[in-house]
Amino acid sequence: MDSYPRILTKNWETPNSHTLAEAKKAGQYSVLEKCLKMDRQAIKQEVLDSGLRGRGGAGFPAGRKWMFVPDVEKRQGKPVYLICNADESEPGTFKDRYCMWHDPHMLIEGMIIAAYALECKTAYIYLRGEFKYIQDRVDEAIEEAKAAGLLGKNILGTGFDFELYTHQGAGAYICGEETALISSIEGERGQPRLKPPFPAVEGAWGCPTVVNNVETLAVVPWVMAHGAKAYAAIGTEKAAGTKLFSVSGHVMKPGVYEVPMGVPMTTLINDICGGLKPGRTLKAVIPGGSSVPVMTPEEVGKATMDYESIQEVSGSYLGSGGVIVMDDTTDMVSALSNLLRFYAHESCGQCTPCREGVGWMSQILIRLDKGGATEEDIETLLDLANNIHSKTICFFGASAAMPVQSFLQKFKPEFLAKIEAAKANIVPEVVSTTNSEATGSSAGAK
Amino acid sequence: MPIVKVDGIEVTVENGTNMIQAAAAVGVDIPHFCYHEDLSIAGNCRMCLVDVEAGGRGPDIACNMQARDGLEIRTDSENVKNMRESVMEFLLKNHPLDCPVCDQSGECTLQDHYTSHGNNGSRLLDTKNHAPKRQPLSDKIVLDAERCIACSRCVRFGDEITKTGDLRLFERTDHTEIGLFPGEALDHGYQGNLIDICPVGALTSREFRFQKRVWYLRETPSVCIGCATGCNIIVEHESGEVFRFKPRRNPDVNSSWMCDEGRETWNDSNDFTRILMAKVDGKRSDFAAAATAAAELLSGKKVAIVLGTKGSNEGNRALALLGANLEGSKLFVMEGNDPSDTVSSDNMLKVEDKNPNRRGATFVAELSGGASTGVELKRALDAGEFEAMIVLQDDAVGRMGGATAPTVVFIGTHANQTSAAAQVIIPASAHIEFNGTFINNNGMVQRFRRALHPVGDSLPDYSAVDKVANALCGSVVGSDGAEIFAGIAEASPALKGASWASLGGAGQQIGSTQQAGAAAPSK
Repeated sequence: MDSYPRILTKNWETPNSHTLAEAKKAGQYSVLEKCLKMDRQAIKQEVLDSGLRGRGGAGFPAGRKWMFVPDVEKRQGKPVYLICNADESEPGTFKDRYCMWHDPHMLIEGMIIAAYALECKTAYIYLRGEFKYIQDRVDEAIEEAKAAGLLGKNILGTGFDFELYTHQGAGAYICGEETALISSIEGERGQPRLKPPFPAVEGAWGCPTVVNNVETLAVVPWVMAHGAKAYAAIGTEKAAGTKLFSVSGHVMKPGVYEVPMGVPMTTLINDICGGLKPGRTLKAVIPGGSSVPVMTPEEVGKATMDYESIQEVSGSYLGSGGVIVMDDTTDMVSALSNLLRFYAHESCGQCTPCREGVGWMSQILIRLDKGGATEEDIETLLDLANNIHSKTICFFGASAAMPVQSFLQKFKPEFLAKIEAAKANIVPEVVSTTNSEATGSSAGAK
Repeated sequence: MPIVKVDGIEVTVENGTNMIQAAAAVGVDIPHFCYHEDLSIAGNCRMCLVDVEAGGRGPDIACNMQARDGLEIRTDSENVKNMRESVMEFLLKNHPLDCPVCDQSGECTLQDHYTSHGNNGSRLLDTKNHAPKRQPLSDKIVLDAERCIACSRCVRFGDEITKTGDLRLFERTDHTEIGLFPGEALDHGYQGNLIDICPVGALTSREFRFQKRVWYLRETPSVCIGCATGCNIIVEHESGEVFRFKPRRNPDVNSSWMCDEGRETWNDSNDFTRILMAKVDGKRSDFAAAATAAAELLSGKKVAIVLGTKGSNEGNRALALLGANLEGSKLFVMEGNDPSDTVSSDNMLKVEDKNPNRRGATFVAELSGGASTGVELKRALDAGEFEAMIVLQDDAVGRMGGATAPTVVFIGTHANQTSAAAQVIIPASAHIEFNGTFINNNGMVQRFRRALHPVGDSLPDYSAVDKVANALCGSVVGSDGAEIFAGIAEASPALKGASWASLGGAGQQIGSTQQAGAAAPSK
């Protein structure tokens, strides 16, 4: 790994980096005036050319998302809304909070430029309920920017008006899904909506809406200052730029790291994060937040940190960059059971398979973990996961199903061993009878 | 108009048709729970998942799939079968399966779909979630939260139809429940529809539940007589007893809805004020004697003929033709409502005019030279211009504040101020006891059909009128309702060629030659 520019984290170590004064010293808002005088289409094109992909998890090209917004005639004069998705609730992901905590002005500048490009006059930063302290800091930054004429009417004398507000969610994981987020911001129950229509055409209050992740928007000023080419030069051909990785679990130095896309996963874990604890060996890595399939050490050895490589090597995803490292002390059954307890708590309850199925999977996993399960339960579990995956309105169902599918596929012996151990020891007689009878009859019905 | 394929069958449909409707058009039934033709698409039950063979990516839900050229779906594949089985399995995971004591049993979509698309036994080894049972949700509805499948139909009904926004989903995951915000009440006048659209036994009627197992009920299509809107209904009855009214879908009249007030008229024909026998001078009489007595009373007199705003077109036609045989008689159609009517209205279906056939009475009168108003009748009676009056169904005396003629003949279903003033009372059948037609306030000619035997000595109003005519001057219309209606249609260019048969279930707009709703399903 050669030297690379630090784009997002460059000011994090500076004391008071969140203040406007320090931010300006660090060069923020320097490109704003130039941007606000540019042709809107040119900004969108620049962002598209930079190869910047959505950092929330899906990795959709940001520029293309912006271009989906219909022009003023097609949208019949409706306003356009820009929403910054700062819900960051994916287990294992904790990068956006640092972006906003250390450098809120970088995000604000990015949002002003994005809003200008999108002809948007009102934007929101949607923060998860637990981020109250961050919301206060962002609000302070917004006030400072407003006082300095960077927000509000006639920004920097360019005639561009733009208002930015923060909005606090109530702590539901699902509100990180962009349509659920829109419902929530409208004051409705946070539930995903059917697509189509896509938010870029019909989003908040029925108007075209662009929802971007914090990291995505915060990168925009750098792209505009240094040009699309400079950004595209970092990382791999298809995954440009640097990426924030939230590394947690069994590494010596967990934390948020900014590295260029395409860094070998082993470099990230062993060199940057200080490797595993002495004497431990790697068992598994979840590379992109808890929702993506788990990877084995062998796959980790082959993968580089970009969208394509991880998918190619392991069928998993880069996701939000929440890397969860698990060493040989990890009980994979317990780990999965723990994950599924989260999903069983967070399903919005809208679609049948996810509403009923995720809770059911969690119940089975608790039995697998605590004893009282049989081999048939593994079959049922896998069946349930397959029946939930991609059968629902939003991606939540798949997010809950993929860990189950991948854990069972890649670590099945551990599950079987757990069942055997439980059988040998402590399974109460009554449970085992019920189980064999019930599974017997269901097999017969099939 | 897009051309799509369902299971290989090509069909051309209207723009905006979804694939559940398109499939229905070729006779393919796609099971669903949350989808309702008159509500927005929620897409949450996932029961209508189908394979997309061309023109899109699948599997996807048919309800949210707009028909577009080149779209091909398959509903009979192994994959679709499996998806339906799995959705049924999920739906029943936390369902209490208390069908034997559930009032929805027999008309439960969950039961129906389980029989057709489930049948895979149970794999559940863990506990089911429990939720509160039999919670009174309002004075009309009981909620069983365990049975709820969170399809959100009731929520959407409140948001989109009554616009009261009262019901909401609370909690998340498999603990999702419907309910009201603290301090809020469910008190709109269309609650019965919530019970109707609930596909399971979560919302049941406090009035109807445990009164009758629904599979014993027979269904007869009819029209509501609660007001002049004439909502299409189904009369559900068994062994000569009505148990409830339910709305019948007619996009041109009432969509899928009816108001609670109309729904609660289900037992009115069984009211204690119902006229069961003929009376002459306050004494019980047989029907023929009463008809003769009426004829004698009316013969040779100047008679005010009051057509019934609550009577059938056929009855009014008979009365108008009877009037033509009485020298110096005149037709009247009363305005206003009977004193016994509860007058209320809203901006949905309920109108202030509580007479189901005012438009019909006026229409029929016009075929005989038109009618005068109730105001004119009162003036004429006060001036002594009429020696007698014959009234069909309406409480004409009540509406005129007690003004009456020296001689009164009343043909009707229920006792009122007019029957109290009448020398001769002739019992008429209630609208659920015979076949006939009404015309609603928008000019929709609609049929109602016989569900029960006429009670007591009563006869259909046109037959009752014709019996009087028989004694007076000879039959004017005969006793065949269909023929009488054909006679009306013949006399009126606006109904040219119409017949009971051509009206069908959906009715026909005056002036149009086409049966309503005969075009492709709207929306």
